Amino acid sequence: MDRKVLKGLLIVIACVVLVVSAVFVFVIHSYSELFTGVLYGAIGVVFFVVMAKVLSLIQREGKQDD
Amino acid sequence: MIDISSIPNIPPVLIYFAGAALIPLFGKGRVRKIYLIILAALGLIGVAALRSPAPGEWEFSVSGFELIFLYVDPLSLIMGYIFAIIGAAAILYSLDVVKENGEFVCGLLYLGSALGAVFAGDLFTLYIFWEIMAFSSLGLIWYSRTERATNAGMRYILFHLFGGCSLLAGIIINYMSTGSISMVSAESGIGHFFVEPGIGYFLLLIGIGVNTAFITLHTWLPDSYPKATIAGAVFMCVFTTKTGVYALARTFPGAELSLFGSEIPFVAYMGGVMCLYGVIFALLQNDVRKLLSYHIISQVGYMVAGVGIGTYIGINGGIAHVFNHILYKALLFMCMGSVIYATGRNNLTELGGLAKKMPVTTITCVIAALSISGVVGFNGYVSKGMVIHAAELSHMHILALALMLGSVGTFLSFLKLTYFTFFRRNDEIEAKEAPLFMLFPMSVTAFLCVAFGVYPKILYEILPYRTVALQYHAFAVGHTLGTLELLAMTAFMFFSLRILITPHDKITYDIDYLYRKAGRGFIWFCEHPLLRFAVGVERRVLRIADSFIMFGKNPLRGARVMIDTVGVSLLKPFIFVFNLVIHPVYKYYERDLEEVKMRPVEEMEKMSIGTGLLLIFLFFALYLIAMRLAGLV
Repeated sequence: MDRKVLKGLLIVIACVVLVVSAVFVFVIHSYSELFTGVLYGAIGVVFFVVMAKVLSLIQREGKQDD
Repeated sequence: MIDISSIPNIPPVLIYFAGAALIPLFGKGRVRKIYLIILAALGLIGVAALRSPAPGEWEFSVSGFELIFLYVDPLSLIMGYIFAIIGAAAILYSLDVVKENGEFVCGLLYLGSALGAVFAGDLFTLYIFWEIMAFSSLGLIWYSRTERATNAGMRYILFHLFGGCSLLAGIIINYMSTGSISMVSAESGIGHFFVEPGIGYFLLLIGIGVNTAFITLHTWLPDSYPKATIAGAVFMCVFTTKTGVYALARTFPGAELSLFGSEIPFVAYMGGVMCLYGVIFALLQNDVRKLLSYHIISQVGYMVAGVGIGTYIGINGGIAHVFNHILYKALLFMCMGSVIYATGRNNLTELGGLAKKMPVTTITCVIAALSISGVVGFNGYVSKGMVIHAAELSHMHILALALMLGSVGTFLSFLKLTYFTFFRRNDEIEAKEAPLFMLFPMSVTAFLCVAFGVYPKILYEILPYRTVALQYHAFAVGHTLGTLELLAMTAFMFFSLRILITPHDKITYDIDYLYRKAGRGFIWFCEHPLLRFAVGVERRVLRIADSFIMFGKNPLRGARVMIDTVGVSLLKPFIFVFNLVIHPVYKYYERDLEEVKMRPVEEMEKMSIGTGLLLIFLFFALYLIAMRLAGLV
């Protein structure tokens, strides 16, 4: 890849990281209590999906009463 | 206007028990339907008209124990109201589904005994109705008349007998230490029955824990409820676990256990564990009624947590959740019963596409799903919020987090249930809407779910601590916004990660797998080592009996053989020495003894009666002389 393009990409990535960080630090952090629902929702879904995947290891074909 | 005080103050249990006894007189047609509708109405009126009985009214003295069959306070009343309401709904729902009178008898006995338990004023009366509940609900499982139901029923009753025995032992031990069987001393509040710490305390807790489905004691619930009859499951999802929560609120509110030098509110934390455990296992289920059964454990977790926190708002939240949960859980079982009734299928993998074919069932099921998930404007939101708020006020942040995560899991699994039952495309399925008698109670219950969600003050008015309840703001902006965000995020992630929680035709092992293994091990132990031991003991006993018979036929010869046998037994350990020194003598001696034993027993020479009597007197005289010499006569 061209050296100039690489440099440009790097700058864009750095800017995006800076902007996202700034939004999180200055905007969302100041009103964090307003986003707890979103946070718990995301954590909860991930937790249950992971637990379901872990427990699926002990699943088997058939009926419980076999 | 009817003066409510003119209605007799009778225990509601009598209405339902009498109703059950009379059912066979009404055949199986329209007359039976009318009779059951009247009975449901009478039950509702009977509970609505209840008031505190006069001293001595409905109290009986049995062997020195004061048995109180009717104790009315705000806690028993709210339980009575909701039992009667949903009992009436379940009776109506059963009218078209249930064919056999026996099933109605079981349902009414179950409903009556649950009301008997919540209006009991002492532990023995509670225990009596507790056991009637176990046996009558067993009928609702066995009326499915399948082998799986029969086996599940056996496991169910074994669990409940174990719980009943623990409860009775706990009651007796507690009575021995406190001298009281009353649950309702004269102080204010509901949790004023103090259990003496010790073995009785734990036995009571185990007894109540079985009915409340504490984790490790819960396996009877998801095992048996999905195998009950369609109407039976509607009755069963209401009474057993909620009576357990009621008993817990009476006996163990705010109970703490001393562990590592600090007091742990273990009942509250057990609630948190139940909440998460039930949800995780519910997510993995394919059978719709099994999914709902695991959600009973999860939702009862909120109630147990509320009662375990033990503060006024905690107990209020727990009891409010009992009330609300009964409404939406019964509705969910009714909806799934309708689906099974209409399609004959009960697995999510086989369902789908029912939204257009069964619109009323779909709408009522969605209302129930939103209620159980705690969506704003539905009744579950109010009581769940109250329990979580109580946990936060008591600085139990881990418990509050567990309960909040439980909400996420609940919404996730009800998105799964409703999506895969009603909205997923399935062109093969054939179904038509459930009969009117099923739809009517479903619609009324759905209406109540919305009514108590939109206007929770009606519920606050009947809670045990009314003034505290009226100060609770269910629709505080922060709480409402947080809940909406939580649920919106869950819905978004469900549709993004749907592929990961698609139902599969598989089963998941629960703790009962270990119980079954242990049970099989116990049966093997009984059939092999224990049986061999028993056969060995039997053989030896028979040999001893044979020896006595032989001895009796000819005592002289018998005595000689016995002495010789004992001699050989004593000499056997020294066989090595004998083999070296007098080997032949020992060998022939043993052989001769065997020969003597094998020889037919010759009868003794018979004596005349006079000689016999003479011998008896002679022995008697010798006996007297010996006694005289010993100074005993």
